[in-house]
Amino acid sequence: METYAIRTLRSQPLRLVLTIGGVALCVVLMFFLLAVYRGVADGSVEYIRQNTTDFWVLQRNVTNILRGSSLVSLTCRETILRIPGVESASPVLLLLTTIRKGSRVRTVFLTGFDPEKGRGGPPKILEGRTVRRDDEIVLDHAFARKFKFRVGESVDLQGRSLKVVGISTGTNAFVIQYAFVTLALAQKIVGFPGIVSGFMVSAETKNQLGKVASRIQEALPGLAVYDYATFLENNIQEMKSGFLPLLYTVAAIGAVVLTVILSLLLSVNILERRKDYAILKTLGSPKGFLRRIIVVQALLISSAASLVGILVFFPLVSLIEKLSPEISTKSTPGQILGVVAAVACMSLISSSISIQKLRRIYLLEVFR
Amino acid sequence: MNTIEPMAPVVRLDNVSKVFNSNEGGTIAVQAVTLEARRGELLLLLGPSGSGKTTLLALAAGLLKPTSGRVLLFGKKIESYSAAKLQDLRANRVGFIFQTFLLIESLTVSENVEVVLRFTRKSKHEARRRAGSLLKLFHIEHLAQKFPLSLSQGEKQRVAIARAIANGAGLILADEPTGSLESKQGFDIIRLLHDYAKFEQGCVIVASHDLRLVDCADRVVRMEDGKLSAVCG
Repeated sequence: METYAIRTLRSQPLRLVLTIGGVALCVVLMFFLLAVYRGVADGSVEYIRQNTTDFWVLQRNVTNILRGSSLVSLTCRETILRIPGVESASPVLLLLTTIRKGSRVRTVFLTGFDPEKGRGGPPKILEGRTVRRDDEIVLDHAFARKFKFRVGESVDLQGRSLKVVGISTGTNAFVIQYAFVTLALAQKIVGFPGIVSGFMVSAETKNQLGKVASRIQEALPGLAVYDYATFLENNIQEMKSGFLPLLYTVAAIGAVVLTVILSLLLSVNILERRKDYAILKTLGSPKGFLRRIIVVQALLISSAASLVGILVFFPLVSLIEKLSPEISTKSTPGQILGVVAAVACMSLISSSISIQKLRRIYLLEVFR
Repeated sequence: MNTIEPMAPVVRLDNVSKVFNSNEGGTIAVQAVTLEARRGELLLLLGPSGSGKTTLLALAAGLLKPTSGRVLLFGKKIESYSAAKLQDLRANRVGFIFQTFLLIESLTVSENVEVVLRFTRKSKHEARRRAGSLLKLFHIEHLAQKFPLSLSQGEKQRVAIARAIANGAGLILADEPTGSLESKQGFDIIRLLHDYAKFEQGCVIVASHDLRLVDCADRVVRMEDGKLSAVCG
C-alpha cells in the first residue's frame, strides 16, 4: 500500500515537486507569522520588561503605553514621593514624533526620561552610550539599520539638531521603534514642561507592595496604579489584540490554501489512477485499504513540505531581517512542532476531502 | 448470518434479466437467463461482442444487481450479502481475469499478486511468500521484480491468473482472457484455467467470442442478444 502510494506520487515528479513547494510555502508562511507574532509580542514589551519597577502610575483608564495616551502633571511626583513606602518615582514622557535626516522623515516612539536616575531609558545599549544631555538621542538598532543612522551623526528632531550617541536594543515594537532623549527635551517638544506620561515607582521594600499601591491610589484618585506584572501583561494583551486577528486571518488563509493544494493533488491523482482504484475495488479491496493510500500520500507530502519549510524558513528569516530590520522574529521548537502538527492535521482533512472521490469510482469501470 | 452451503452451485442465475436505463430508453443486456456453474468445471460463455457476456459475469460476481430474477452466489441470494460481505467475498473467494489484464502498472509483478493477499489481512511476509510460490507455479518467478509494462502479453496474463487465484478463489470470472493473446498463448491460458478448475475444484466462467476455446471447456453456453441460445456439454 505504501509502495503504491509512493510510486503513484513519484510517477509525476514535476507535479509532486510543485505540490510540495506550494505546501512548503504555506508552511513557511505559518512559521513566519508565528515567529513574527512571538517577535512582536516579546519585542514590543521588551522596554517595559527590562525597565523593572514596582509600579507604573498613569492617567486613569490608560492601561498600557503601546496604544494608550497618558498625560499626567509632573507635580504628582511630589505627592507620590511623600507616600510612606515609596522609594522613587521616575517620570517618563512618551510621544510619537518624527526624526528628519536630510530629506527623509521617520516616525519614532520618543521616550523622555531622567538620565540621572536611568530608569525609563534604553534597556540595553548595543553601541555608544545612553543620553546625558538635551542635545543627544539614542536610537533603536532596527531603526538605525533600516534608515542608516550611525553613532556620531546628527538628526533633526522637530527643528532641533541632536547627536546620535547610542544604539539600543529591546526597543523595537515592530510598527514603531523607540528613541530616547532627556525628559526635559521631550517636554520642550510637547510644549508643556509640567506634563509627563507617567511614573515608574519603586517601593522601599517588596513585602508591602499592595499597601503602597493602595496609598498611591488613595492619594491620587485620578491616576491608575499597576504593578509590574499587570502592566506588562496589559501591554502584551494590547499587542495581541492588535496583531493576532490579522496574523490568524493570514495563517487561516495559508491553511486553507495548503488544504486546497493538497486536496487538488490527491484528487487529480485519484482521477488519473481511476482505473487502478476500480481494479482494486473489484478485486475486493477493503474501503480502508484505499483510504489509507490517500492518507499516506497526504502525510508523505505534508512531511516533505514541512521538512522543506523548515530548511527554507531559517535562511529566509535571516534574509528578511537583513532587508527589514524592524521585523523581529522569534522561533521556538514548540512553534515549529505546532505548525508541523497543524500541517499534518490539514493533510488529513485534505485526504478526507479527496477520499470522497473514491466513492464515485464504480466496480464496473474495469469492464470498460 | 450468511453461511455458505458446501454442495450448492457456486453461481446460479434464475430467470435473470438486466436492463440498463438511459435517456434514450432501456437497453436489455441480459434477458431471462437461467444458468448455474459448479465446482470443478470450466464454463465457456460464448457469444459475439454486445451479446451480454460481460454483464452476465458482472451479475454472477455481484457487481451488478439484476433488474429481475434471482442470483445466488455460493448458495446465497446476492441481495442477502451486505456490501462489506460482498467485498469480503470478492477478496477471498472470487478471482477476476480481464482481457487487458488490468495489472497495476506502478506495482511490480510480485506486488500485483501480493496486493490481493493483503486484502485478506495476510502479513506482508506471508503475502510475499505466497506470491513467490504462485509465480513459480506459473514459471514467471524471474519476473517478480519487473513492472507490467516490460512484460509480454502472455506474461501479463499469467500474472493476472496468479492474482486471480492467489486467495484460493472458488470462482474465477474471466472476461475475454485470450482476447489480447496469440492463439498459442491463449490456449495455454485456457489450459491453465481448466487445470485450476479440475485440480483445485474451482469454478471458472470464461466469457469469450473465440470459437477455438470450445474444445477446452467442460460446458459451453452460447449467448446472443442477452439470451442464452444453446447449452452444450
